[in-house]
Amino acid sequence: MASSHSDSARMEQIITEFFAKSLHIILESRSPYRSSRNFSGEQAFSSPSSSTSSSSSVRPRDKWFNLALREFPEALENLDLWRQSNHEPMIVDVILIKRSLDWDSVKLSPKPELIKNALSKDVYPNCWDFGNDDVGRGGKKEKIVERWVVQYEVKKSKDCQRGGKRSGCNVLSSFYKKSMLLLRSLYATVRLLPAYKIFRDLYLSGHIRSFSLGHRVSSFVEPFTRKEEAEMQRFGFTPVDTSCGRLCLSVQYRSSVSDISSEPSTPLSPPQLIQDYVGSPLADPLKRFPLLPVTHGSPSSVPFSRRHSWSYDQCRASPPFATCSPSPAHSEPYTSASNPTMSRLPPPGLPPHPPDTLHGPKDVASLDECYPSPIYSPSPSASPPIFIPESQLSKVLLRSESAPVNIPGLRFHNNPAIFKNQILSPSPPLREARYEVLRSYKTLGPSQTGETYETVLHGKKHLKRLSGMTSAELAFHDDFDETEYTCPFDVEDDDMAEPGSRLESFDQKGLVYEQLDPGAYLPVRKSTGAAVGALVDLLNKAPPLRQDSSISVPTSQTSGVNTCASSFPEPNQSCTEMPVKEFAPCVMASTIHVSRTASDAFEELQAYKEMKNMLLSQCEGPCNQLAYLARRMLV
Amino acid sequence: MNCEVCHLKDLEVEHYEIREVLRCILHTIIFHRALGLVRPKEIDLELFEITYVQCGDLKVEKKIDEKIEQLIGWVEKHPNKKSQICLSFYEVKNKQASWFTNKIERLYWEHWYVNLNVVQQPKTAYARSHSSKDIVDSENALEERSIRRACLETSLREVLFQIIRFVNDKKDHVPPIPNREGAISFPYEITIPSSSDSAFGMDMIKRMLQTGHPTMLS
Repeated sequence: MASSHSDSARMEQIITEFFAKSLHIILESRSPYRSSRNFSGEQAFSSPSSSTSSSSSVRPRDKWFNLALREFPEALENLDLWRQSNHEPMIVDVILIKRSLDWDSVKLSPKPELIKNALSKDVYPNCWDFGNDDVGRGGKKEKIVERWVVQYEVKKSKDCQRGGKRSGCNVLSSFYKKSMLLLRSLYATVRLLPAYKIFRDLYLSGHIRSFSLGHRVSSFVEPFTRKEEAEMQRFGFTPVDTSCGRLCLSVQYRSSVSDISSEPSTPLSPPQLIQDYVGSPLADPLKRFPLLPVTHGSPSSVPFSRRHSWSYDQCRASPPFATCSPSPAHSEPYTSASNPTMSRLPPPGLPPHPPDTLHGPKDVASLDECYPSPIYSPSPSASPPIFIPESQLSKVLLRSESAPVNIPGLRFHNNPAIFKNQILSPSPPLREARYEVLRSYKTLGPSQTGETYETVLHGKKHLKRLSGMTSAELAFHDDFDETEYTCPFDVEDDDMAEPGSRLESFDQKGLVYEQLDPGAYLPVRKSTGAAVGALVDLLNKAPPLRQDSSISVPTSQTSGVNTCASSFPEPNQSCTEMPVKEFAPCVMASTIHVSRTASDAFEELQAYKEMKNMLLSQCEGPCNQLAYLARRMLV
Repeated sequence: MNCEVCHLKDLEVEHYEIREVLRCILHTIIFHRALGLVRPKEIDLELFEITYVQCGDLKVEKKIDEKIEQLIGWVEKHPNKKSQICLSFYEVKNKQASWFTNKIERLYWEHWYVNLNVVQQPKTAYARSHSSKDIVDSENALEERSIRRACLETSLREVLFQIIRFVNDKKDHVPPIPNREGAISFPYEITIPSSSDSAFGMDMIKRMLQTGHPTMLS
């Protein structure tokens, strides 16, 4: 009898160890704790390759079932109950936690958060405080994707005793061998089930997702609803019989889980990772105050990664520029930062985010639109991640109202200013639009695009044409920015240096500008929207009607008010209402002085108003950029 | 002792997929039969979204790779033929010396048959892809290929589950674990079709004779 007692004690021990091992195997491939093959910890195996190399050290626990696993202390912490009694089932729920709507309080870098959440699993038995801190935010959904049940079913005592008589060394070793086989097949199975894909995506790929995995170990089953039950598939491992019972292992798993993980899990290149991760607009508190200039100014001084985080939207909203050419538009620096990849990426309409984390591209876009651009603007160089130092930033702000630059001695003496204005124009709301245009430009190729331009229209005519244009086309002029121009705020220093070359660059692009009659001509393209862009820009940047001809100050930005202040006081119009801007060239020193009368200006004003109304009428939802634009125009 | 046989589901593979598919299957089987101290090593397939487990024994890896190379060579010589790879586990029994000098007898206790149907790549579509029609054709071919790849991934997964089920269902025939160093507790051999089919058949017959247990072919 003594031997039988010791046998049953051994049996108990094997069963206990089986519980431990199976829990270990499951959690190791579902929980971030082991931190994946990417991380090298102090654990014996940080990577598959190292796992073999460390074979010299065999821990006692490894010898159980001859299966050496990575160190995973957490798995063992949970085992107290089953160490006391083998008769309790062990239920391991693997839970997919989806973050959804409310990202307000999510920190800038979601990664630690993710891991924390996944770790904040409850252990045993009925704590459901899984990520409590997040529940309050209402931004989380939990879904059980796998339920593992490890159970030792005890036979009736009679059977057990009868079995006990038969039991002996052979039976014990046979049981042990079979449980080894069972554990090996468990080890392989956990890696074949859909949830492993999620685990891999989350913790092995280094990608950041909107979801995480957690687990819960308990001794009772909270039954699934019927619906849940229907969604689950079951895989039952063949039980291992013992003299007194049988060891059962089964899993219910959600086969559709792979869909969840596959949505956002398109393999991302590292740059994308950055955008996805820090740049998530939803993770960016700054987004909440898009209109505060301070907010915009400050980020420029924060570290690079942070910049990415707040600039993410811009990246997304701005075109995937293939070129690294400097552009004055505020979003450029960030855009170019992501240039290399962006150009390879799907169109911006397809954000790298998991779709479910967003309110939708529209929302983001509208947030985006609210950014006053000028502050961000200037990264002139091709090297994307360059940001304006704060000092420069403030300069920029100060200067933003200065008069347009006059570039003397140019072939198109009228034009430089126009060009400059265009170049400098922030046209913040147009980012997306420009995007479109740029894309079309790229598709067409420069020469073709050039053909779509009409050189010049006269007077109000062009305004009429413009009225038919779409918002998307408004920003075409920003393309110019892409060519060769350095940061608008650098203009002061160097813009006079090679004005000709700049013009050439335009020419190369196929943009034809003809000399304008004083104040009468605009570079307008045949393509409808492009002209609007040019016009709007022009309006924004136009020099005042009258200006000291000796002033030749490079303009960075012209806000309406300032321009107004320095502009010739028009009859009938107050500063605040009057966006009338003469075309810069005509008032510039060393350029032809244009004699324009107030009535001319008034006429134009009317036309502008007309256009404004048109633009406003077009504004709906996502179009509020136009409203913004129009407002700006009239301010 | 019983000898169990498992015929794995046929897989239709292209030439370039043979290596990964076979590695995945053979290693998975061997992992389940490596009852020595194992430090599992998981491997992500490159062609498929599948992770399988190796037992981490370098010799095993080498042996499997060798056999796969041999098989690939055979496939190249015998296109359009089904190829069957057999992974067998046996025990070694010392036999009394007889007029055969061979004192060692192999007692096979398990055969796994991996069945591959190597399909030819639709080369024609690529060969003359100058006309627009051909380009369309080749695009279609690419699409078909990706569909076929997805099918293969599903099938491969099924095969892996077939292995796992078999391992679960049939445990009694597995011999007691011998005291051996290393992960591999049971000797095994991998048989590929040799240069002629008849030889392959002979090989099988010979093996059956050797075991003395033609046994149940399930």
